Amino acid sequence: MLADGERPVLSLASCFSVSVPAVSQHLAVLRACGLVEERREGRQRVYYLTPDPLREVAEWMAIYQRFWTDRLGALGAFLARQAGHTPPKPRKKGRRS
Amino acid sequence: MTRIDLTETYPYPIAQVWAALTDKAAISEWLMTTDDFEPVVGCKFRLRSKPMPGWRGFVDCVVLEATPPARLSYSWVGDEKRPPMTVTWTLTAVAHGTRLQLEHSGFEGFGGFILAKLMMGPGWKKMMRKKLPAVIEVRLQKETA
Repeated sequence: MLADGERPVLSLASCFSVSVPAVSQHLAVLRACGLVEERREGRQRVYYLTPDPLREVAEWMAIYQRFWTDRLGALGAFLARQAGHTPPKPRKKGRRS
Repeated sequence: MTRIDLTETYPYPIAQVWAALTDKAAISEWLMTTDDFEPVVGCKFRLRSKPMPGWRGFVDCVVLEATPPARLSYSWVGDEKRPPMTVTWTLTAVAHGTRLQLEHSGFEGFGGFILAKLMMGPGWKKMMRKKLPAVIEVRLQKETA
């Protein structure tokens, strides 16, 4: 829900069948993990997603995506050397989920 | 769970591709250097490369599954500060060669790792299992778009 923008705690709580204090507690856990951040607005707290840990994961994945694409190419070249001829172009399909 | 999936088709017989994935001399040629890999469940091995800024230069693995010539899976710890990941190779004989699927899973991030350990209550568990991964997926798609 926070992916669409910041939300006050009451608005978040209204979407779940749990109490407001329970939702606050859950948000505290998310905050401790660095996934959400809060700011005060009048008498209530507004929560928003902190993108950094998620961006970090995306960057980390991008490094591995490149790494494995390179390694699969190296494997093709290795197999070609083993078979004793020049590497044919492998058909390639990549997907990330 | 967030993961990398790659599929490549090689014009070589499945036995040859399996050998390239499971022979330590072969692995050392195309992946990373290893001298202790054996395709035996429970085998602990290390893949070594050059250390780089932000990376210690080796990956510690344990063989989780080795079913010739179809499936090879090992745990993957490239950074001791991160949760262990899993690399799984699936080989399928096709008309003119072998289809090789690679799945590298476990890109949860440090926050997700802690969360997984903290989740306790049943309602919370359900919400986190269904809602949070969806949020992260959407977020990642936005980040990488």
